Amino acid sequence: MSDSVVVPIERETDIVCARQKGRALAAAAGFLSTDQTLLATAISEVARNIVSYAGKGTVTLQTVQEGGRRGLSIVASDNGPGIENVELAMRDGYSTGKSLGLGLPGAKRLMDSFALESVVGVGTKVTMTKWLR
Amino acid sequence: MTDLVKESSTQILAREMALTEQSVERRRRIVGLEPDDLARIAGIREVVLAQVDHFASVFFDYLSGIEEGRVLTNNRALTERARELKRSHLIAMVGGDYGRAYAEQRLELAVLYGRVGLELRVFIAAFHRLLRSIGEAVMKSTPQAPLEAFASFMALKKIAFFDIGVIVDAVVFERERVIRQQQDAIRELSTPVLQVRARLLLLPIIGVIDTHRARLITDSLLKAIRANRAKVVVMDVTGVATIDSKVANHLMQTVTAAKLMGASVIVTGLSAEVAQSLVALGIDLTTLNTIGDLQGGMDEAERALGYRVVSMDPRRDGAPLSPG
Ligand SMILES: Nc1ncnc2c1ncn2[C@@H]1O[C@H](COP(=O)(O)OP(=O)(O)OP(=O)(O)O)[C@@H](O)[C@H]1O
Ligand SMILES: [Mg+2]
Repeated sequence: MSDSVVVPIERETDIVCARQKGRALAAAAGFLSTDQTLLATAISEVARNIVSYAGKGTVTLQTVQEGGRRGLSIVASDNGPGIENVELAMRDGYSTGKSLGLGLPGAKRLMDSFALESVVGVGTKVTMTKWLR
Repeated sequence: MTDLVKESSTQILAREMALTEQSVERRRRIVGLEPDDLARIAGIREVVLAQVDHFASVFFDYLSGIEEGRVLTNNRALTERARELKRSHLIAMVGGDYGRAYAEQRLELAVLYGRVGLELRVFIAAFHRLLRSIGEAVMKSTPQAPLEAFASFMALKKIAFFDIGVIVDAVVFERERVIRQQQDAIRELSTPVLQVRARLLLLPIIGVIDTHRARLITDSLLKAIRANRAKVVVMDVTGVATIDSKVANHLMQTVTAAKLMGASVIVTGLSAEVAQSLVALGIDLTTLNTIGDLQGGMDEAERALGYRVVSMDPRRDGAPLSPG
């Protein structure tokens, strides 16, 4: 696929950058304004987790196609400390960072598909997709 | 008491640019500098040292010969300083030591170029002239072994490209510093707290909120509440495109802190999109006093303060101004 953007994530401004790139790609793919905002929010959550917990990583944005429908896929990946208990991390309100603990479960609700893979000491990868309605 | 050793501006810049022994080592590797090259450079050392003044002149003559170079050469004092630096640069170029100190010395000229506004492409062209004349001198010095001379010159060229790398990075870094400062300034400017009337503050939030800005907003709002003994704050987020959980959390904490200081907060202008995202995220907005638009929020605030908004239009005499 050609329409792919890799945004390096290391600091706060990179989160904003990933969000804006995501909005632009989503608009180009035909997503309406509401969905663009939902996507931008989901991107913000996973990118922020990279900054908060892994230090650095990347967010890859890509328009995808499957059986005639179009969508936007977001992959956030890092080589940070990883998550010990993935199930726990997906629970509403669970946070090791004294925050709301809504980022991961919230992003899942914002998107159509969501997968979290993490290996302690190796890194974390979130893969999520939203389809055009 | 120990003496305070003041950092020079180039030292500060070197630190900000993270010009460490390690990163300089990386730079040497990037231009492909090998022990072999050091030996070759040592071999042409005397040729360069013999004509340092001449080579420096080639550089500055080129600059004074073209329009774009005169931003520097028209400034007598700075040109003198630059010439001095260029001479020590040439001496160091064949000195054999290309560590952190060497890289740091390159910064002073870079800063000077930046200060007078000498464009990088002009500096690079002048530097190329200088290298060409060094190349000619090197070739002339051993006419019987042109291949050797060429190889030695190419070894020196690695140092030249190492230098260009440092200088380009420094000039770009300085230029970005201006942008960073402007961003900070814009941030400060874009979190104004306006006193609308006694005890009523308006906090219009425009643009992108990151956690840094969210903190600034909290800060300036709490200060303003104290200074104005405000009772009601209207926080207008009409201009905000995205709010994620962390920023939402910050804003909610701001609202709580304001309450503790005796001011209630009315949030206006939450777009349908943002509201929908916040709900999907699972953020509980029920504790917030939200009102659709700014006008409605201001009316509500004034009612809360005991003001009655009256229309000036005689036909609607006494009737409260309804929004819209
Ligand atoms: N990339 C990551 N690397 C390591 N740990 C992570 C990563 N992302 C999330 N986590 C862990 O998962 C927990 C839950 O993440 P989630 O984003 O849901 O909540 P939060 O970041 O703590 O709070 P919020 O996102 O609501 O501000 C985090 O507290 C952290 O311990
Ligand atoms: Mg999070």
